[in-house]
Amino acid sequence: MAKKNRNVGIVGIGQTEYSSHKEHQNQAEMVNEAVRYALEDANITLDDIDCVLHGNMELFEMVFQPDMWHSLGSGAYGKDQFRITTGGTTGASLVCAADNLVASGMYDVVMAIGMEKLQEGHTTGGITNMADPLWFRHLQTGALTATTATMMMDEFGEERAKKAAMKYRILMDKHACLNPRAHRRFGLEYEQADDLMNTSPQLVGELRLIHMCSQSDGACVMIFASEKKAKKMCKTPVWIRDHITVHREETFNNFGIEMPEMTHHYAARKLFERNGIKDPVEYFDVFEMYDPSAWWGLDWAREFLLLKDDEHIKLLEDGEFDLDGKLPINPSGGVTASNPIGATAMLRPAEAAMQLRGDAGPQQIKKKVKHALASGFGGTLWSVLMMLEKDLDWQEVENG
Amino acid sequence: MAEYFGTAVEDIFNTMEERFLSEGTLDVDVTIGYNISGEGGGNWKVTIKEGTLKVEDADGEVTDCTAVLNANAETFVGVTLGKLDAGEAFSSGNIKVDGDLTVLVAILPKAFKPFKPVIKASAIVESVEERFLPEKAEGVDIKIGYDLSGDGGGQWTVVVKDQTCTLKEVLDDDCTVIMRMEAQVFVDLNQGKLDGGTAFSSGQVKVDGDIGVAGQSASLFEKYVAEGAAEEEGEELISLKCVPSINQRYATGPTMGKWFDGLKEKKFFASKCPQCGRTLVPPREICAQCRVRCNEFVEVGPDATVTLIDVVYYASPDPLTGKIRETPYTALFMVLDGVSRDESFAHDLNPKDIDRIKPGMKVRPVWAEKRMGTYRDLLYFEIAD
Repeated sequence: MAKKNRNVGIVGIGQTEYSSHKEHQNQAEMVNEAVRYALEDANITLDDIDCVLHGNMELFEMVFQPDMWHSLGSGAYGKDQFRITTGGTTGASLVCAADNLVASGMYDVVMAIGMEKLQEGHTTGGITNMADPLWFRHLQTGALTATTATMMMDEFGEERAKKAAMKYRILMDKHACLNPRAHRRFGLEYEQADDLMNTSPQLVGELRLIHMCSQSDGACVMIFASEKKAKKMCKTPVWIRDHITVHREETFNNFGIEMPEMTHHYAARKLFERNGIKDPVEYFDVFEMYDPSAWWGLDWAREFLLLKDDEHIKLLEDGEFDLDGKLPINPSGGVTASNPIGATAMLRPAEAAMQLRGDAGPQQIKKKVKHALASGFGGTLWSVLMMLEKDLDWQEVENG
Repeated sequence: MAEYFGTAVEDIFNTMEERFLSEGTLDVDVTIGYNISGEGGGNWKVTIKEGTLKVEDADGEVTDCTAVLNANAETFVGVTLGKLDAGEAFSSGNIKVDGDLTVLVAILPKAFKPFKPVIKASAIVESVEERFLPEKAEGVDIKIGYDLSGDGGGQWTVVVKDQTCTLKEVLDDDCTVIMRMEAQVFVDLNQGKLDGGTAFSSGQVKVDGDIGVAGQSASLFEKYVAEGAAEEEGEELISLKCVPSINQRYATGPTMGKWFDGLKEKKFFASKCPQCGRTLVPPREICAQCRVRCNEFVEVGPDATVTLIDVVYYASPDPLTGKIRETPYTALFMVLDGVSRDESFAHDLNPKDIDRIKPGMKVRPVWAEKRMGTYRDLLYFEIAD
């Protein structure tokens, strides 16, 4: 595994509720709400924070240097602060950076803030700006694409693929309905699947409105501490075991006749290899995945869990991704339910850590949760994958 | 008549005529059907054609429509009033659209002013007991009669005595004052759209009895606020709207410069990695995999093999122009002849081929007459047969 100077524990988590509108508070006030919850959760004050990390996407709200404006709410005044803005992966990059900063010995306690108020801008317009202005920007439509839907229908047949994607979507809604903070809680039933498959408005090809993630307002804050401090200040710190960040797709050039290994697969293969994980479905007890659409969520389950052929669809069909299944996916409801983009990839390790602590609330998995996987996604299929542990007892694996 | 959020379904259709914005629909020719289920629902057919509007109560099934909207009455009214989130109603399937969704998204906001709930005179009078302010009525002993004619009108007597207020649905003979007017005038007065003095002097309001009492009676009651409007009126928070527009220019660098120069001559140039030999389209300065410069260019295409097809129905702004894109449009992924098999390239598809295009098909470029070295030097690709 990656060499770590010292272990890092997650000692505080704070989240606002997620919703399509938060006109009752401005950006700094929204940040402050999550900061207060996280400090309360860690039972510390701002005086205990050595360094603040801030992340969102300024193109969405068109506020440059938001870390500066938000310092009123973040409490970063007079403290070391860094801004991280890596698109969809921002939230996960914040957690990786916090881990690196604490593990390095640079700081003992680091607070990371992910936030977005998508209602204050235009999400799809903002995302489209990521594409090369000289060529692909003329064609890109934010994060909306049906390429995965098309490929899955081609591989598994139209009916099975559509049914599976809709089952995944309804499962996510069932989980979201348990999560009091989730933005979209429709109360969908499996009986509605056939109807929704045919009547939900098409966005792009077979990517329909119901499949796609929400546009949410909200903030998530996590506090990280060195092993020594974490054990002192927290009864149930959650340990960051390892994480990998993979940028392997140069542009949108990878839809050729032959497809390269997907970044998600590459990330999982490398991460599991260096941690000696042979069977991820068996090893992990929960997977919080950045699933921007039902099609992507289901397809990426195969990539991240190194599954073959239709194994991922079978696991879904057999209920193994349910809350009481072999490997529950997104007990929080995932990204199709709540998507405050700069916070979205942080919600994954945050919700996974709450599962490990056992205090996730109504969406808590009933059986024991010891090992968690969390992923982030952004840009041209960039990937962050992270392993969290309940106990500091994993086996070190020798590797180069 | 069933009401939702204080509004009946037919109120929305009955007000379409007055909310219609003909200048926004000069180039429009659509028929929208509405199947509204549940109490107070029904079928309507709305035809918008070159700046004209026709609203029909369609008995039974709506047919021959560009798009048909299906919803239950509560959802339909809620979304129209902005009480329910339209996006969520669509997403959850509470609103379903058969046919061309873009009609609703693109045309309706241009065609109609937003619906405002219809306030009825009867609703104002019938809420008088709730709005009564006893502390203002010390020593007051009066009977106010209302005789309101027309739609939503009626006759009432409001009795104020011993700091209590009672409403009777008859017009008593011994009223201190009786005010007679059209029901709509009464609504406008209460909504502050019409000045009381003006209404009186112009004869729109007739007062029998003690004119002074008529003038003072307003102070005995809280102002009438329509259901749903209350929150807005009480809202102190504001949001500011702005549309930033920024001119930007991007340098191509020599590699993309070579590509755009080629387009002027109807030629595609790929850069080639000297190490792994793969070709990059549009050309890139380096091979990211081998981390070496790619200084060699090879001519590729012009025909290509289709790999993936994204037909986009969702209308979003083009950040390069700020304009909302016309839908549907197609992002066509393809491999140009002579290019590495894992290297796709993307451009538009000729809209006439949307229904026929399939992966594996051969396509050819269609060039603009005038070529300036830009993306638009290519009109699109189309099926080569």
